[in-house]
Amino acid sequence: MENIPKLEEPSATTERLAYSVQESADMLGVNYFSIYRLIQRGKLKVCRALRGKLLVPRAELLKLLETQ
Amino acid sequence: MTNRFDDHRPTALEEQAYAEARRHFAEHLKQFPVNREAVEWLERNIAKTALAVNMAAAKPTKNVIQTNDGTQWHKSVDLMDNICLCHRPITGGAEYAVVEHFPARGTNEIWNRGWNAVEVLKAFAQEQRQALQIWTEDMTAQVKEFLVEKYPGQDMSRMTDGLMHRLATHTTSHRQTQSHGENHNRGVRI
Repeated sequence: MENIPKLEEPSATTERLAYSVQESADMLGVNYFSIYRLIQRGKLKVCRALRGKLLVPRAELLKLLETQ
Repeated sequence: MTNRFDDHRPTALEEQAYAEARRHFAEHLKQFPVNREAVEWLERNIAKTALAVNMAAAKPTKNVIQTNDGTQWHKSVDLMDNICLCHRPITGGAEYAVVEHFPARGTNEIWNRGWNAVEVLKAFAQEQRQALQIWTEDMTAQVKEFLVEKYPGQDMSRMTDGLMHRLATHTTSHRQTQSHGENHNRGVRI
């Protein structure tokens, strides 16, 4: 009988690829509106998940911190 | 005789969903009206604010900040949390800028700048409107996602609309609005 490979459990150290606006605001220590302002100005590139919810890629947050 | 199709009252399930969504998005529901009112206040008071900064530009101030590009500015009017209108003397007049302070990074970033305070403020206010629009669209998507996940197979569109209506029209209390205006007046350093 063929062995079915087990799915790897996500490790605690796995880094997420993207964050919601709330999470991004918390990480940057700013209020929600500042994040939407950064998005409006194109300083934070975002993508849209299903139903249009905005997601901020982790790389974008790091880039923002590095460039400032 | 009541026609059940004319009954616009929410069902018990819809009421429950609405209450859950309100709890889940409480922080958005709190922050959005405050910021929307701040933008509305700014739009109504562009001329007054520009006059205040023009008067401030005529006098030297000690409150100096440095922006990311290395330029030094005099703070003159607080516009929103961590955002102020600044000025600096240049040959033949003054330059104005809307500057946001990012406490976590300790940086000051210029949003808009120019030689005409009214134009700088108008551009800033317009961008804030657009940012509010992005916020509204994101919130709609988040609320829809939340309700679909919590109540699969149920049509909760009326509750999404209700919550978004609340977001768009809810005002902070008169007292808060008044104190917000007072804060702005206090922020005018002339």
